Amino acid sequence: MIEFKNVNKWFGKLHVLNDINLTIPKGEVLVICGPSGSGKSTLIRCINRLEPIQKGKIIVNDVPVHDKATNLTKLRADIGFVFQQFHLYPHMTVLENVMLAPVNVKKIAKSKAEKIAMKKLEQVGLTEKSGVHPAQLSGGQQQRVAIARGLAMSPKIMLFDEPTSALDPEMIGEVLDVMVNLVSEGMTMCVVTHEMGFAKKVANRVLFMDEGAIVETGTPDKFFDNPKTDRAANFISMILTH
Amino acid sequence: MLTDFNFRVIWEYMPLFLTGVRATAFIAAVSITLALITGIIACACRISGIKILKYPAIAYIELIRSTPLLVQIYFLYFGLPTLGVRVPELQTGILALMLNSGAYIAEIIRAGINSVDEGHIEAGISSGLNYVQRMRFIILPQALGVTIPPLLGQNIVLVKDSALLSLISVVELTRSGQTMTSERFMPAEAFLTVAFFYMCIYFCLKTFADWSQRKLIFREVY
Repeated sequence: MIEFKNVNKWFGKLHVLNDINLTIPKGEVLVICGPSGSGKSTLIRCINRLEPIQKGKIIVNDVPVHDKATNLTKLRADIGFVFQQFHLYPHMTVLENVMLAPVNVKKIAKSKAEKIAMKKLEQVGLTEKSGVHPAQLSGGQQQRVAIARGLAMSPKIMLFDEPTSALDPEMIGEVLDVMVNLVSEGMTMCVVTHEMGFAKKVANRVLFMDEGAIVETGTPDKFFDNPKTDRAANFISMILTH
Repeated sequence: MLTDFNFRVIWEYMPLFLTGVRATAFIAAVSITLALITGIIACACRISGIKILKYPAIAYIELIRSTPLLVQIYFLYFGLPTLGVRVPELQTGILALMLNSGAYIAEIIRAGINSVDEGHIEAGISSGLNYVQRMRFIILPQALGVTIPPLLGQNIVLVKDSALLSLISVVELTRSGQTMTSERFMPAEAFLTVAFFYMCIYFCLKTFADWSQRKLIFREVY
């Protein structure tokens, strides 16, 4: 469903993605972890072309993402993206946030889009907040709205860029619960996170990155209990001690 | 001191002052409207990324911002006729104010657009919204709020700058003060009255801006 072929990317002289080869089949839940600056966010931002690449190919649903001829609107409509900082539109209500893309990108009639939006809000447990502005919500609620906003486009893939890193500890659970539910619906997901509990519970595969390269992949149990490389072992011991 | 102040003459010249106020209000209203249009177009060109639009817009904005308004007025008034373009002084004056304010307004709008969180734009991009849709639904509604106060400031500057048009013999508020001074030699009375009327215009504009800020713009609810 998502395929990276010899993908290379530079920010100036910095080699942020170093020859990435990766296949993510339909329905897989992939957790990406690694130290800060290792290129994990950049990796998933390339999947919907928020970032350009300089070499190689990324293919999503048989479409080459970085081709000039690619219909980006259609590609992006199929990929939901959830940011670390939520990035809800502050001047719109929760419902308007969720409805914006379905109405304007998919051209769904407003009444129908509203029904879809309310259904997605129900899925994240926030129907009663549909009329308020994002600033009136807690961080965890905002992130759940952001997930609903992504889901309202009925995407085939959901990308999560450190969805719980900006949250107070007591709000992490509610966001992870929503994500676990998504997994049970068979959604293809790439999640950049350090939440080991989440990874162990639902991930099919964990991918460890360092300095722009994929250092190690494996099932969550194997990766966390028996890492193959020293770098991964080091990293795991660091996130465990805190 | 106040006993030396000749209110009778001010009263006598009141019709002239009122003509001046009307003229200044007219010049300001027309110039502000045209300057807003100019500013929006110049800003759109500048941020468009299309080279043949972007570079002329930058040249225009920088040229205006790097030179004094009086020089621009003199160039249009004295310079254009020698190049064979004849424009009456009132139109010349409005043109100068429009071009001058337009450049500043373009930069004010650009600053407002740039102030919108990059993350909101990325969220729009990721959900498939195109450039025009992102502008319309995400960027402009948020930029409007931060743009109104500096725009008001620029409009007030324009009203006061319009006094310079008296130097190319446009009949407006400052010019009526000059006329009274030259006929009666009472500069204190004349220009205090002129100043008073400028203050009136200022407070009208300010009231309008306060109202529009309450009515038109989005404020984050905390």
